[in-house]
Amino acid sequence: MDATTLLAGVQAYAHAQNEPDWLLKLREQAVAAYFKLPLPKFEKISYKDWPLFNFTAPTAIESAPVTGELAATAATQQFYAVGDSTIQLTLPAEALQQGVILSDLRSAIQHHGDLVETYLMQKALKLGDDKLTALNTAMMTNGFFLYVPKNVELKAPIEILQVVDNRTQQNYFSHNLLIADTSSRVNVIQRLASVGDQANAAHVLVEVVAEANSQVNFAGIDTLDHRTTAYLNRRGYLANDAKLDWELAEMNAGDVIADFDSELKGRGSEAMVKTIAIANREQTQGLDTRVTNYGKKTVANIVQRGIILDAATLIFNGIGHIIKGAHGAKADQENRLLMLSSKARGDADPILLIDENDVEAGHAASVGRVDEQQMYYLLSRGIPKPEAERLVIRGFLAGVITELRSQRLRHELNALIERRLTDGNN
Amino acid sequence: MSTLVIKDLKVSVTENEQERLILKGVNLTLNTGETHAIMGPNGTGKSTLSETIMGNPAYHVVSGQILLDGVDLLKMSVDERARAGLFLAMQYPAEIKGVTNIEFLRAAINARRPKDDQISVTDFLALLDKNLAELNMSTSMAERYLNEGFSGGEKKRNEILQLLMIQPKFAILDEIDSGLDIDALQVVAHGVNAMASPDFGTLIITHYQRLLNYIVPDYVHVMMDGKIVKTGDAKLANTLEAEGYAGLRDELGLDVPLTDDDVE
Repeated sequence: MDATTLLAGVQAYAHAQNEPDWLLKLREQAVAAYFKLPLPKFEKISYKDWPLFNFTAPTAIESAPVTGELAATAATQQFYAVGDSTIQLTLPAEALQQGVILSDLRSAIQHHGDLVETYLMQKALKLGDDKLTALNTAMMTNGFFLYVPKNVELKAPIEILQVVDNRTQQNYFSHNLLIADTSSRVNVIQRLASVGDQANAAHVLVEVVAEANSQVNFAGIDTLDHRTTAYLNRRGYLANDAKLDWELAEMNAGDVIADFDSELKGRGSEAMVKTIAIANREQTQGLDTRVTNYGKKTVANIVQRGIILDAATLIFNGIGHIIKGAHGAKADQENRLLMLSSKARGDADPILLIDENDVEAGHAASVGRVDEQQMYYLLSRGIPKPEAERLVIRGFLAGVITELRSQRLRHELNALIERRLTDGNN
Repeated sequence: MSTLVIKDLKVSVTENEQERLILKGVNLTLNTGETHAIMGPNGTGKSTLSETIMGNPAYHVVSGQILLDGVDLLKMSVDERARAGLFLAMQYPAEIKGVTNIEFLRAAINARRPKDDQISVTDFLALLDKNLAELNMSTSMAERYLNEGFSGGEKKRNEILQLLMIQPKFAILDEIDSGLDIDALQVVAHGVNAMASPDFGTLIITHYQRLLNYIVPDYVHVMMDGKIVKTGDAKLANTLEAEGYAGLRDELGLDVPLTDDDVE
């Protein structure tokens, strides 16, 4: 689509949605940035020919709820959307009374415009970042919006299910915003799934702003099917003494590039990123996980574990970047891959960029095969080889996410891993 | 009754790219209902024997036979041998983070049952509680990841818990007493003794006589330099404790070095 057509389409959509002027301006700048900026670089992955750019001008399409297994999950969610349609929104009374806002992006733009204007593409992500974030900002049609006010501590997790609607060919540009205001605490579980048998591209941005002294635990469980080609970008911004814990499970069956980045802007802020992934069949998943230490005494931790089966490709790029001035910063990372087939392709690349002296940085990486000792032990108890192998692999992955919020979530994840290992497509 | 027969077994391992013969012709017959102990100094092949019976791929059978009720175990994979009725309590059990003790035990039990008759959760938990109590183990230990962060003693207890849960025909206990204090030793021995039945046989591998005060063997075999050099009853263990392996070696006129630096 050429610049003029895209701009006209974006403007028409913004008018149709009665969007405020500041947002129209942002979208217009985003269109210009999209045509000007280069594609973000993912080491060892060439995705320029992926069908990520088959989109039409943004429109408001209605999607019907899903049925079956996914519907059962949907019923328990605080936020549940299919395509651009928000189907369910609930918050406990306690959270509402404390001023917590959970809505979709569309209505947040209308009802909480100031907050959206303050944060959207201003702190975590920015318009100049790259071509794909610019495209999303121009094209975004919905997403979740969660605001947790100062000093509010939410104990129960906010659970979000977003389903890409592949029942028809359509765009999916989702833009999500989570703001944890000063000294607040929140647990969020975001599930990305898909329904239908058409091939679509999914562009998903999540901006997490953790203001001073806040704590955000963010679990992402992504199970897009093999027809969905995805660009995922989850970006955290941390103010002074903020803590952000990511636990991300990439259980997608299609081609995926993902950027999971955290910016440790505030002094004493800490980010922990734990990512697990399984790649199978012909699939390619490329995950760039970066934490950048800007503030003094900031702490960055990255742990990534992946399994590669069949003729799949899985690339982990772990990037630890300590900026000049980040005295006393720590950056540590570990990237490990298991290859279960001779046709599998994988890389675990730790990249450390250190521009300051009085810092601590470390990394470990390995690409290996199933642990023989563990296998022998399980076999010696009579567990047949395929099952023993699955247990060892599951341990390898699930061992990373040991602190996962609840037993229910651990069970869900174990079941997902099992399914990914026994069946190619989910 | 079941019988495990080992006939003229010769086994080698690869060391520095060379094959070294460890077992030099072992003969042994175990019947269910019997308790056997194999004693011997370090490096004589005791662990090699136990690992070879189980099928550890690091040990290469040069010649000989291992038969369970006449069936050739050497043709079977490790998991098949286990399902045929063998159990090896290991010296160094593996740790598997991310897999709980409970799900591991269930998988082991269900591997022995038909697909359409898997153990129910209630039955499993009842069995687990009973056996945990037998071994003075807490429920939380069963909920922890498999051997992960377990102390030496906890690991040994966990091996015996598996033994009680799985109920094999033959158990080989490979230095189950190493690293145990006297209280833990008694608990472990209690667990093993609880298995006693005409349908269960034990092969205990140990350096020391101490364990045999608690699990009294019917037969004691002394192994030196890859062979069983003497067989007797429980009293043989006491003699060894008093006189050491050197005494027996000299009595038998064997030309065997007794060193601790050989790898088993």
